[in-house]
Amino acid sequence: MSAKLEIEWTQIANKFITWGSEICLYETEFLKDKTIPCMKISNNLAAFLLTTNPNYHYIKCLDIYPKSNDILLAVGQGNGKVSLVTFGPSQFDSQGLPGKEFVPRHPRQCNTVAWNRIDSNLVAVGLDKYRSDHSVLLWDIVKCPFSPDSNGALKPSVSSMTTSTEVSKPVAEFGMSDMTASLAWFNTNSKTLAVGMNLKNIRIVDFRDSVKVVTSTPTKAVFGLCMEPNLDRHLASYCDNQVCIWDVRNFEKPLVTLTYPKPTLKIGWCPTRHNLLASLQRDSSLINLYDIQQTIVGNEEVEPSILERVVIPNYSQNITSFSWHPTEENRLLSITLTGTISDYIVYDRITLNWAPNSNVVWTFGRKTMKILNENSSLYDPLKDISHKIKQRALDGYGLKEELSKNGDMVDDVLIKNAWKWLQLSGKLSDEGILRGYNSRHPGVRTVLKIDGVNVKSDTISISWADLGNSSCHSSAKIYRHEDRDKALYLCGWKFDKDNTLSKLLDRLEKEHAFSRAAAIAVFNLKIKQALEILSRGAESSFEHSNLNIVAMALAGFSDDKNSVWKQISAGTRAQIGDPYLRAMFAFLTAENYNYDAVLNEDGMLVEDRVAFACTFLSDGKLLDYLKALAMELTEEGNLDGLLLTGNNSDGMQLLQQYLDVTGDIQTTALIVVKAFPIESYTEKSKEWVTSYRNLLDVWQLWNERAHFDIMLNSYKPTEKPPQQVYVSCNFCGKSISAYMQGLNRGRGPFSRMGSTANKLKMSSCPNCRKPLPRCAICLMHMGTTMGKHINGDVDSNKLVEFSHWFTWCQSCRHGGHASHMIHWFRNHSECPVTPCSCKCFAIDSWSNEDV
Amino acid sequence: MFEAEEINAEHKDLIHDVAYDFYGQRMATCSSDQYVKVWDQNHEGRWILTSSWKAHSGSVWKVTWAHPEFGQVLATCSFDRTAAVWEEIVGETPGPGERGSRHWVRRTNLVDSRTSVTDVKFGPKTQGLQLATCSIDGIIRIYEAPDVMNLSQWTLQHEVQCKLSCSCLSWNPSLSKSLPQMLAVGSDDSNPANGGKVFIFEYSENIRRWTKIETINTITDAVHDISFSPNLGRSFHLLAVATKDVRIISLTPIHDQASIQSGLTKLSVQTAAQFEDHASTVWRVCWNITGTILASSGDDGCVRMFKMNYINTWKPIAVLKGDGSNLSNENQKSMASSTGAPVSQTARYYKLGTISSSREVPWH
Repeated sequence: MSAKLEIEWTQIANKFITWGSEICLYETEFLKDKTIPCMKISNNLAAFLLTTNPNYHYIKCLDIYPKSNDILLAVGQGNGKVSLVTFGPSQFDSQGLPGKEFVPRHPRQCNTVAWNRIDSNLVAVGLDKYRSDHSVLLWDIVKCPFSPDSNGALKPSVSSMTTSTEVSKPVAEFGMSDMTASLAWFNTNSKTLAVGMNLKNIRIVDFRDSVKVVTSTPTKAVFGLCMEPNLDRHLASYCDNQVCIWDVRNFEKPLVTLTYPKPTLKIGWCPTRHNLLASLQRDSSLINLYDIQQTIVGNEEVEPSILERVVIPNYSQNITSFSWHPTEENRLLSITLTGTISDYIVYDRITLNWAPNSNVVWTFGRKTMKILNENSSLYDPLKDISHKIKQRALDGYGLKEELSKNGDMVDDVLIKNAWKWLQLSGKLSDEGILRGYNSRHPGVRTVLKIDGVNVKSDTISISWADLGNSSCHSSAKIYRHEDRDKALYLCGWKFDKDNTLSKLLDRLEKEHAFSRAAAIAVFNLKIKQALEILSRGAESSFEHSNLNIVAMALAGFSDDKNSVWKQISAGTRAQIGDPYLRAMFAFLTAENYNYDAVLNEDGMLVEDRVAFACTFLSDGKLLDYLKALAMELTEEGNLDGLLLTGNNSDGMQLLQQYLDVTGDIQTTALIVVKAFPIESYTEKSKEWVTSYRNLLDVWQLWNERAHFDIMLNSYKPTEKPPQQVYVSCNFCGKSISAYMQGLNRGRGPFSRMGSTANKLKMSSCPNCRKPLPRCAICLMHMGTTMGKHINGDVDSNKLVEFSHWFTWCQSCRHGGHASHMIHWFRNHSECPVTPCSCKCFAIDSWSNEDV
Repeated sequence: MFEAEEINAEHKDLIHDVAYDFYGQRMATCSSDQYVKVWDQNHEGRWILTSSWKAHSGSVWKVTWAHPEFGQVLATCSFDRTAAVWEEIVGETPGPGERGSRHWVRRTNLVDSRTSVTDVKFGPKTQGLQLATCSIDGIIRIYEAPDVMNLSQWTLQHEVQCKLSCSCLSWNPSLSKSLPQMLAVGSDDSNPANGGKVFIFEYSENIRRWTKIETINTITDAVHDISFSPNLGRSFHLLAVATKDVRIISLTPIHDQASIQSGLTKLSVQTAAQFEDHASTVWRVCWNITGTILASSGDDGCVRMFKMNYINTWKPIAVLKGDGSNLSNENQKSMASSTGAPVSQTARYYKLGTISSSREVPWH
């Protein structure tokens, strides 16, 4: 018994057969109820076995009758017989076809059987070699002459083998003492057949008159001959590990030869596509697809290009056969050694692209494209930076004079803090507290002159007992220096009088940041105040109620090394969830002024940690700590690091890292423009600005871009934007606009004119006194007012001014008052000047789009 | 759920490329049917076919737009061994207020290649109007239009040999004027023994030549598409590669003594991410405008998206089936997957039942 399983779609769309030791007919159905036991062949399809036919045991080959709604099979068997098989009652019953057999004179293996695609009564049979017999027999299933062979050559052995055998003579015979390995009919010619013979050659045979070999080619690849269904000249065949594709018009050598490491099992052209060949190798779970492209350049046909693809219908097992669906595009069915069937759609290659506005387009199948709109809900959960940037740009982010207001427009805490700090440092610089750093936003490290000479800070010891903690004996050590004070200012921690501290604490309490307020109070050695804050916090809302317990714990503060309080607090500190409370207790239980637990508390804001360090660390330690922290923050691209670096080159590096991490070109460019001195710009920072402007251009946010440019230029007071348009006199060639500018400034030769209402009335060249060109519409000289306002532009002064601007077409050089021109082209496409047929307005395709 | 808009592309064969213009308002498609089509978005946001013409005598592989400051200009390349530059011309206006008829004229036909031209791309506009092509025989050609007003005159500036057959190329889109121009080229040579399949070329102003500065040796399988991400001032370049999986390569220029002396950029090459989610050949990759999301398409018939969460940390974020429906469960699975690159998952769609029980059905 043959264990090899074969599979074939029938011409009925949802039915296929498999054969090996028996023939089975299946029907596919959509899987509705997933609980019904069935054979799933794809995600949503199941196959149901309709019938089986176990009568034929030695099936060598099989072909399905191509033109019918009922299934009729020609089954070629090991002994050379070809039987017609149906499943159940069919239209063929009346013709007595089912069960009919065609027997060769000498029994030998039947290698191939093929129905003629046009004259579908004909079936060609290819047989093994027999010394004195033909190996290609052509039978007609309807015309069945019952008479035995005239020369009496009928073999009695054959007729005795089966009872239902109808002995008949083939319509035609061919290939005396040859072996036929495979056969393929032409699709458009019912009389020609391609035959693979003797492991030696492929012949094309014409049955029309007398059987005649039309053409032949020597090759070993004689197996699995098949004809491209859509194009009657491409033929594919294989042998061992080679697949050849032939063009019958040029049959001498194969068009393409494909080689594989393993022997080929089956090849098949896709019936729904041009020139798409699938091939399957032994012991393999993948099917190779070849898209063969041909083209003609000039008169020569160039070598075809082949796009190779691999499909894997089933991952786990090796495939033994496959079959293309006859009508549905790109669908194929595969069967494995164990009989697992999978229905597979070969997806066409998808090409895709991404528009600047987040539209995504891709191709689906051959003929459709799918577009995902930028407003698609797919993007909402992604929160991509490109969407944020666009939205922020539309909101006017970065254009606010007051720096912190820019931060208010953003929902990102880090960015908010950065702007807030820039605002604070700018204010301090303006107030003169920070002076002599030649920058408006010096960082803490700059302020502390961290890279310069070591400054000796004063040490002040404050006894805890003096602060009202009677159970304490030691004191807290505080370092003071004017540079440290400045650093504290930058952290928002410099409290001149006590009321500024309470102001900060009150604010924090209002924001319900009780733990932070309490910790800051403690760090400023105001334990009593901290206790009050905590208890107020506990009262304020239910979720803060545990602050009461914290307050209780804090109330017992004692710095005696051996006190129970200190031991317990130190032990349980790690379990406190709130970083500020944790830091608070770390501070109070610190030994030998070692505050590492506070300093390395990542949950605290950077400014609090820095301020703490500036208060409690000795000079050497402080420098080391700030250096390490600055490095850490720069590495993370954390904008909080600006507090340390300020707007120097380190700050620039930090911004670069922030940009690398987030892709937020917008915030990066805005901070550079707003906070970094123009002299410090590097190539890189200029690139940021260019990139951001380019981004706004791509999104067509031209107003936003212009606002950004205006802001950019406001930081370059010495640089004036270059003049873009010059109007020069036709006669003397001197610039008119230069005079106009002089006019506005109230200087120059025409300053007298500048005071009246129609001050811009200037209809001749100020230099040579020749009149300016005329407006093509009103025929008045340019420079005159343009008469009645059209369209009620009167409301807006600016528009009125624009309306009598000079405009002209760049290509025909005709023009006039701007508003006249706009009005004209609203109804016309050609230039208003009589003999000119210039389509001034249509030349620029974009303006055309907008109207 | 979301709906993907569907457009009937009206092509008669497989579409090989679709390209948006600078603003994303126009779209060009090209196909094996040898036609190029241009689509415009109307006021309601619908895409309307505005032009369609037979551009080549073979499959048109790629289509690409020039920067709008050079006009409405397209370049195409084809199996017929040529690349062409097209410009849109506004013709007679039928009446006031109506759009003039437009048509595309071939400004030039670049016939230098002796084999199929597989990719064509305009260079960054800071360098004027430049065009790069690559072909099956492994030659990269750089053309330039010396006069941007005259698109029919192109001079072949450089021919660079690549040894392996080229399938795709991408310009580094960096806007920085200080960086030398950079090109990445991919090869679809399928023999791993031939080594790396992605090459980085750089134009050196000193010697006025394009020089290969890097071969990415970690990619030895056939490369089908390659794409530089928009740079936006980052200190490194990101290169997406479509091969048997999706790769994201980061290229960081190193400024050391040796590179300054030689005048050539030295790059530190790092694989930032590698995704095997398609579990099959990957055909195309493309970036969003900020270079923070990568979309890819593969033989599994899906479009997949990957997002950057941190430097070199990429995550799969969405899977769309070719027909536009969301593979939601897949999506969730992806979301749940841990951070850290590379994250690889294998998707299998075909869970197969067994055939055994069905044999009991009797034959009648």
